[in-house]
Amino acid sequence: MGKRSGSKRKDKNKVILPPELPPEIDDDEVDLSDEDIAFYATDSSNVAPFRRFDKKSIDRYVGRVAGRDEGEVERLYEERQKRKATESSGKPREDDDGLEVDPVDALPTKTLQGELVYNRAKKARSEDNTGGVKSKAQENGADAKQSIKKDEPKGKSKNKKGDDNKVKNIQSQTEVPKGQLHSNVLEEVKEELSAEELFEKKKAQLAELGMAMLEDPESNIRSLNDMLSISNDKDQKVAKLGLMSLLAVFKDIIPSYRIRQLTEKELAVEVSKEVKKTRYYEYTLIRCYKAYLQKLVSLEKQPHFYTVAVRCMCALLDTAPHFNFRENLLASVVKNLSSSDDVVRKMCCEAIRSLFINEGKHRGEATIEAVRLIADHVKLNDCQLHPDSIDVFLSLRFDEDIGKDETEEEKVKPKKNKRWQKNQEVPKQLPVNDKKKTRQELISKAREEVDVDLRAVSFTLDPKERKRIQKETLSALFETYFRILKHSVTTSNSRTKVNNVSPGGSHPLLTPCLEGLGKFSHLIDVDFMGELISCLKKLSGYSDRQDEIPNDNALSVSERLQCCIVAVKVWRSNLEALNVDLQDFFVQLYNLILEYRPDRDHGEVLADALKTLLWEGKQQDMLRAAAFIKRLATLALSFGSAEAIAALVTLKHLLQKNSKCRNMLENDSGGGSLSCLVAKYNPEATDPYLSGALASVLWELSLLEKHYDISVSSMASNILSMANLNPTQNPVPILNVNPLEAYRDLSMERELLKPTSKALPLNLKKRRRGKEFVALSPDVLQKADCSVDKDELEEKLQSHFAVLRGISENERLRAELNHTLSSVNMYKDYKKQKKKNMKFKTGRKKVARV
Amino acid sequence: MRPLDEKETTQVFEKLFKFTGPNLKHLLERPAVEGPDAEPGRYCLRLNRNRVYYASEALVRRATAVSRPRLAGVGTPIGKFTHHGAFHLTVHALDLLAAHARRRVWLKPDTERSFLFGNSVPKSSLARITENTKVGDGVVVMSMADVPLGFGIAARSAQDCRKADTNAVVVLHQADAGEYLRKEEELM
Repeated sequence: MGKRSGSKRKDKNKVILPPELPPEIDDDEVDLSDEDIAFYATDSSNVAPFRRFDKKSIDRYVGRVAGRDEGEVERLYEERQKRKATESSGKPREDDDGLEVDPVDALPTKTLQGELVYNRAKKARSEDNTGGVKSKAQENGADAKQSIKKDEPKGKSKNKKGDDNKVKNIQSQTEVPKGQLHSNVLEEVKEELSAEELFEKKKAQLAELGMAMLEDPESNIRSLNDMLSISNDKDQKVAKLGLMSLLAVFKDIIPSYRIRQLTEKELAVEVSKEVKKTRYYEYTLIRCYKAYLQKLVSLEKQPHFYTVAVRCMCALLDTAPHFNFRENLLASVVKNLSSSDDVVRKMCCEAIRSLFINEGKHRGEATIEAVRLIADHVKLNDCQLHPDSIDVFLSLRFDEDIGKDETEEEKVKPKKNKRWQKNQEVPKQLPVNDKKKTRQELISKAREEVDVDLRAVSFTLDPKERKRIQKETLSALFETYFRILKHSVTTSNSRTKVNNVSPGGSHPLLTPCLEGLGKFSHLIDVDFMGELISCLKKLSGYSDRQDEIPNDNALSVSERLQCCIVAVKVWRSNLEALNVDLQDFFVQLYNLILEYRPDRDHGEVLADALKTLLWEGKQQDMLRAAAFIKRLATLALSFGSAEAIAALVTLKHLLQKNSKCRNMLENDSGGGSLSCLVAKYNPEATDPYLSGALASVLWELSLLEKHYDISVSSMASNILSMANLNPTQNPVPILNVNPLEAYRDLSMERELLKPTSKALPLNLKKRRRGKEFVALSPDVLQKADCSVDKDELEEKLQSHFAVLRGISENERLRAELNHTLSSVNMYKDYKKQKKKNMKFKTGRKKVARV
Repeated sequence: MRPLDEKETTQVFEKLFKFTGPNLKHLLERPAVEGPDAEPGRYCLRLNRNRVYYASEALVRRATAVSRPRLAGVGTPIGKFTHHGAFHLTVHALDLLAAHARRRVWLKPDTERSFLFGNSVPKSSLARITENTKVGDGVVVMSMADVPLGFGIAARSAQDCRKADTNAVVVLHQADAGEYLRKEEELM
């Protein structure tokens, strides 16, 4: 910006000053200083404004000056200036070269004295750009003549006003010292030429450069430099635009191959013109790309450019993961994966995801790098990152067939190799005799070469390489996962005392980590299994001492449920052959069902747990199944319809599989001979085997039959009908879905139904509920829970307990009163009776006497 | 009939602990269901003629009325002390263990008979096993229909089972329900 405004100012100086010029001086008589000539000769941008002057009007002004007051002159000049500005914005290319200046060079322009210094630097710079080969010796101004020669034809060809230029040169020279007089004028002019116009101008310039680049990148590759310099602009808007347009250009012109450094040998060899041209093109491209990346990385630290820089990097990573400097791009994108800025984080995640999904673009190499970088990142930050940074792993894809292919191929390969060796050895023994063999050899050699070339060109890797890549990716992935697990285990043990309120607050990465483990469970090595399972068991809160099960874990219920799910999944996908009973996890689930709260925990996780552990599980033994049936019935009764339907679906499934448990549907408790040692149902038992659920009756189902939700009530009655069937028979299925689906369906329905249920008239609702509603509708529960804030709650509780206390006090007093009253009464009675007795006695005595 | 002394108690508890783990507490603290009393109290262990009985306090109180030579038994026998002073669990304890055990092994239906004849459980007849079984743990052997068949000691952990040979012994036989027929006179 500085240089720009500087140059503007100069222009204005020159424009405004003509009136004071001594008109007598002739062109020939004026002696030009070398510097001036050099400046005007070489730099078309400085000359350009003058070329456009019409001689007439200048002459007019020059002639008129004496009679006119300065204000009038100024006004006219300003008008003209404006016009010119709009004109020049249409032709940005012309004075673009003049802008090609380092910020360092631009600095001196701020003082009027420094103008010459600035011009020189500018000149040298622009010549560098235009000439490409020219030495910097021109700075000295010694070769001014040469530059004049060079300039004149240019000027003539453009608007044939070379003479005019000279005149103006002279004028400008004399103007300089008088500039100060017009400083106030300058200010006004500057304001007039508002920032908006400048901005428009630069925008147009950028657009033009970009279009030119896209039209013919090979010949216009140099304008990348110009664009880069524009993005250096002080104006943030312009700089941002520059960055974005550069991004667009790079996106288009980056080739589909990686540009490598030329070896010395290659440099030494003479090459044709075309090759030279391509080399130059590639070299420039790489240089600019590097500069651009450096700029992005440096800008990333500035808050204004943060988003833009990250967006550019993400887009580049997305389009050109194969290109040079991918590592740097990846590093900074991965670093921003856990940024606190939502937008940035989302962009980075998307970029990494697309990197994982479109492996064809970069042959999977970038995938390893990214996974490794994330692993390091996690390690460095001690697992305290945003969950999104691990979430991206979920879009990784692993080809399971690779292993098989490879083994098959290995079996085939040795044979081939032997044949090769034979082919190669035999000719050596009979080199001359067998022409056929040599020919064959030649053919085979040629074929081999072709194969190698083909492999190098095509993007598909051979299976071996792919397997290696996949292996490394997997190991980095699981390293990350295990690190997170270990970290959560150790910290959860140390943090048990600190009761953290926010669930998942201390282990932000655990949830996505568990998800990932569940997804890639089939790829885990069996040797890790034991440790992994024990880790998960610890995390799920299971401990051998059963008294300690609750409150011993800082993890939330959903996370613990997820641990159970993952453990079962891992085990199931790996050791399907050996049917192992994960009893501890079932016990854990049994206890977690009680701890579930609909608002705090994710119902979906619970439904998923029910599905994986109970619904999909092959065989449950009877006692455990009975315990789960009973507990699920309790769950169905106490929570919303979505949870209820999930529980009921599972319950039904369990009842179908364990026909012996069906006597829980009968109306007599005790369980008969089946209820083993525990004769009485203990609803709070932590061990399903000791709950004695077989001795209980599923009375919950008959209540659930009256549930307000039709699907729940029909399900309950369907289950109840099982009691009348043979053990082998199963009732007609009404809902053939797993618990998770059922849960999703109903919760969706609930969301949809919300407004309508609110629209119901209140009294109707009340009456209905009073009549037949068994459970409170979830809306009411939610409302009741959400609307209360802490203070209000405290106040209410206080008043409530005050009332309670008052009541109990009252009762106590009343009891005392009653007591005293009764004792008084008794005393009265006693006295009365005493009197009577006395009377009686006296009477008797009297009688006796009588 | 007398309560166990300290040494005997530790011996019995150690054996039981192998099977029940921390559930041992439940075994001893659960409310009794035997006996005519309204409040039968808890269960306790009593020794009579080298046999250990698991009986409710109500029963024990009544049994004191019977003279020692005439008392054949009280409550459920769970094991016996050998002449060397070692304690062995007998098949009578099966129900008790089955309810409280932490590790179980399920047998394939057609191999149940072999186990009931007193053989150990090879890997081939294993249908299911509790996950974290370790070598030396007591396991209860069940049929696929969840009927307890007997119990034994795990010779391999659940992890090792996967790699083991098909004929490798997984559970060492200790007692099975077939003993009720085979050793009828020994049992009483």
